[in-house]
Amino acid sequence: MSQQIGTERGSTDALVQVRNLKTYYDEGGLFGGQPVRAVDGVTFNIQEGETLGLVGESGCGKSTLGRTLLQLEDATGGEILYDGEDITSYEQDELLSWRRNAQMVFQDPESSLNERMTVGEIVREPLDVHEWKTDGERRQRVQSLLETVGLQREHYYRYPHQFSGGQRQRISIARTLTLNPDFMVLDEPVSALDVSVQAEIINLLEELQAEFGLTYLFIAHDLSVVRHISDRVAVMYLGHIMEIGPTEELFADPSNPYTHALLSAIPLPDPGQERDRITLQGTPPNPRYPPNGCPFSTRCPARIRPSGYQDLDEGVWSQLNTVREVLRERQRADRTIRERIRGSLGWETRFGDMNDTITELFGEFEVPANVQEILDEVARRANENDEEAALTLLNDEFGSVCDGVDEDPEQSDSELQFYTVGSTDRKSYCHRHDSEYREPGPVIEDRSIKEHGE
Amino acid sequence: MSETVTPESDVAPLRKRFLDNPRPALLWLVGALALLVLELGRILGWVKALGTGVKFAVMTTAALPKWVGGNVESAVADTGVLPGRLEPVGELLGSGVVTVLVFGFVVSVFLSLSERRVTRLLRPNMPSYRRLTVERALLTGILTVVSALMVLTPIGGLVESMIGFLTAVLDNISNQAPTLTSREIIPNQGYRSPDGSGWEGTFLGLSPGQSWGVRVAVVYAYAFGWLVWLWRGYNVFREQYRAADWTPRDDTLDRFSGHLWGLFGLVVVFSFVVLALWAPAISTVPLEERSNEPYRFEHQFLDDEDIEGNPLTDGSGDLETVRHGQANLYSVSKGKGQNVGLFSYDDFDRFSPLGTTPSGGDMMTQLAHGARTSLIIALTGLGLATLIALVMALLTAYYKGLVDLLTVVTSDTIVSIPLFLLVMMLSVIFSGSDHPLVTPLDGGLLLAMVFAFAFWPGLWRAIRGPTLQIAEEDWIDAAKSYGQTPSKIMRKHMAPYVVSYTMIYASLLVGSTIIVTAALSFLGLGISEPTPEWGRLISSGQDYITTDSWHVSTVSGIMIVFVVTGFNALGDGIRDAIDPESDIGDGDAAAAGGGG
Repeated sequence: MSQQIGTERGSTDALVQVRNLKTYYDEGGLFGGQPVRAVDGVTFNIQEGETLGLVGESGCGKSTLGRTLLQLEDATGGEILYDGEDITSYEQDELLSWRRNAQMVFQDPESSLNERMTVGEIVREPLDVHEWKTDGERRQRVQSLLETVGLQREHYYRYPHQFSGGQRQRISIARTLTLNPDFMVLDEPVSALDVSVQAEIINLLEELQAEFGLTYLFIAHDLSVVRHISDRVAVMYLGHIMEIGPTEELFADPSNPYTHALLSAIPLPDPGQERDRITLQGTPPNPRYPPNGCPFSTRCPARIRPSGYQDLDEGVWSQLNTVREVLRERQRADRTIRERIRGSLGWETRFGDMNDTITELFGEFEVPANVQEILDEVARRANENDEEAALTLLNDEFGSVCDGVDEDPEQSDSELQFYTVGSTDRKSYCHRHDSEYREPGPVIEDRSIKEHGE
Repeated sequence: MSETVTPESDVAPLRKRFLDNPRPALLWLVGALALLVLELGRILGWVKALGTGVKFAVMTTAALPKWVGGNVESAVADTGVLPGRLEPVGELLGSGVVTVLVFGFVVSVFLSLSERRVTRLLRPNMPSYRRLTVERALLTGILTVVSALMVLTPIGGLVESMIGFLTAVLDNISNQAPTLTSREIIPNQGYRSPDGSGWEGTFLGLSPGQSWGVRVAVVYAYAFGWLVWLWRGYNVFREQYRAADWTPRDDTLDRFSGHLWGLFGLVVVFSFVVLALWAPAISTVPLEERSNEPYRFEHQFLDDEDIEGNPLTDGSGDLETVRHGQANLYSVSKGKGQNVGLFSYDDFDRFSPLGTTPSGGDMMTQLAHGARTSLIIALTGLGLATLIALVMALLTAYYKGLVDLLTVVTSDTIVSIPLFLLVMMLSVIFSGSDHPLVTPLDGGLLLAMVFAFAFWPGLWRAIRGPTLQIAEEDWIDAAKSYGQTPSKIMRKHMAPYVVSYTMIYASLLVGSTIIVTAALSFLGLGISEPTPEWGRLISSGQDYITTDSWHVSTVSGIMIVFVVTGFNALGDGIRDAIDPESDIGDGDAAAAGGGG
């Protein structure tokens, strides 16, 4: 793998170093099958005292990544170095004493506090677990922590029911502080709160960071909050980090096509201002069956196209993508015996006739004869239930390095890797940064002009 | 959100709060002590009975290693290797392994329940998981050595005689101690005085019926007194000592106190429990005198009839003595003129508030003691079933995967056998093989065990959903993130949310156990003579249901209906009280009932 970017700047003062981390679910279940690749080979560092923002759409694996960092999920592969030690290999007892260092704030304050316990019992539980000093000292510490997070000492004997969402999040934060951790995973800590309360909690988190020298991994999908609080930002898509770098630079001048798309979704404060919103087609692929090559290749607005078809219409390209998705879906679907029989009798099955699908998809476009020829052959292979052959043909003709197709076998580095972009230490996971291709930014602009006309 | 800092508003621990203001608590305590002293004899009796139950459980567990050892011994003998030499080794090995396993289990449970770690004092820096392992091994070893010493040296005999001595002392105290509701203080067995002026030997010279009524009234008044006093105690705690000014439990109690159907259930269940606990006081005659050993006990009555049966009005009647057994022959309720009905006296001036049974026993006595049987079976059986269901629910929800799958398969296997068939099969197998479990309560304990076995899968299934739901809450992950142990997570963060469900379902199942027990006894399979049981009462009276003696089956049948309804109502009430989203007083309360 060429994903080794462990030689990052100042890896000596990195508090957390994540190396090719993988977290898969449903591995080797009762009936085998593909695991869900929630986190699929992620590498990054978190420097001591910084806030690393982690953004991405829902289901991209950012929460799983946070939970794996705290060992709430077992890593499938890779390592997590905390202060230089691999915590994934810890024994029970080592893990227990390590847990003092790292704590988590959860998204939903309704669910993160046990409502049958008083606030005091909730906040002091970590102290009880780690047998910290005496009873009286534990109570004193909890009460002073309640003050630290902006509550009152006598709230010790209240129940969570009696507090508002913002106050409950404060209680939750107080609990994470009891053991004096260095590292905190904040899993969307404000997204369940009212906007007016969000600012209070964000400010509190910043104050605490300054006071206790905390290191944050701030997981969120609200980009403006992330921009406000983070020193650096990592953008995640389908279990991969697509781009990581200093916040301002990343927001001002995104490199990766996915970051472009994500940032174009932020509403502008000035409605008069012009900006092309990049609308991604389709939905994220099923993490159980990620695409070959680049994870974003199925929806990428800047996908590299094979040299032979440079002049093809934008619409045709997007429909070609759809054809590919349809074929992948068909390939995964189980064919029951009943359906095979229906198919062989020429009756209608839920798989349908691929010719119809293609006609429907490309009806409104002018399709060049050579493309139509290939499409017909694809449809023929698909109708014979040989989706694999159909996909191979499609990839051979229209695929590029983005789909894991090696156009030029001579060139050895067709493997996707991180490229350093921008003036500061910023990495982006895209083939377009290779000197061979044009940068994503201009390509996206060109194509959108081509599509919408001027 | 106020940011004011008021350090002096620290709340002191409970002990200090008590010392600062001891008066209300002490007042309550004095009252409780007074109540206790009034019935000290009876309460000590219950303690003794409980001790007997515990002793039986311990003895059965202690017998385990010996059984296994014996089996190993015979298995070794069957192999025929080194005859006469290897068997004792096998026996020792078998019983030894089982002993260590039993102790290991006990120690693990005990250690996971206790907060403090013994070895923390010795080696404070030892990592906590290793410490737990060391302590388990240590305590198991100590227990094994102690028990080996008990068995192999005279120390065991010494301990046994000490326990015997303590029991004797307790016995003595409980016999001497005052008991407000005892027969000595409020007697109801007497005879008419020959001069016709009233009754001799009864309470204040009242009639036996009236004095029995007084005693029953005193029993219920006393029990009600405890209820009120406990409630008052809770309020004293809530107002004077509790640090939190509000807890979720307050709302639950509020909701329950407005739930009429649930309150009705509470009243019925309370009456039933009092009937069972005070059975000897509520019976008109002690059970052993009139029914169990009727030819050992005598009864005095005034014989004031001449040979033809005409009453002698001149006061010339004689005091006669008859054995209960003989008298019973003339007091049977078999219809066709042979009947002692509700609230009536028989020929020997014995009062029967609910009439007599077809064999001449007293219905009230039988019913009261039968309630005891039912309560013991329901509590033991369902208590065990609930415990198993709860533990399994917590384990399966926490670990999921294979544990869950295995439990699903096991429980489905048990559930797939019709309940009644399963219970019948198991009780026949055990009673046929003269298992030691059969003796207590004439098969009652066995029945309780069978119920535990038959009912836990249903209970587990009922609470599996809620438990799985709780296991997904973020506070479970939070607890994991700071390293809370699985057993504590299950107990502190999951169990409190599930226990209420198990209580509800268990209270609905009480009805089922009473009905199934009655049905089995009706068929002659459940609890045999002489332990009284409601189902057997119904079956004994079924031939006379159309005659004068209709009361035998009818009264006991109505009692069952009443008690089962009461338990279901209570379960509904608790459920609605616990669930804040339920509508109070809505008609749907009754719809979900129906145990059995």
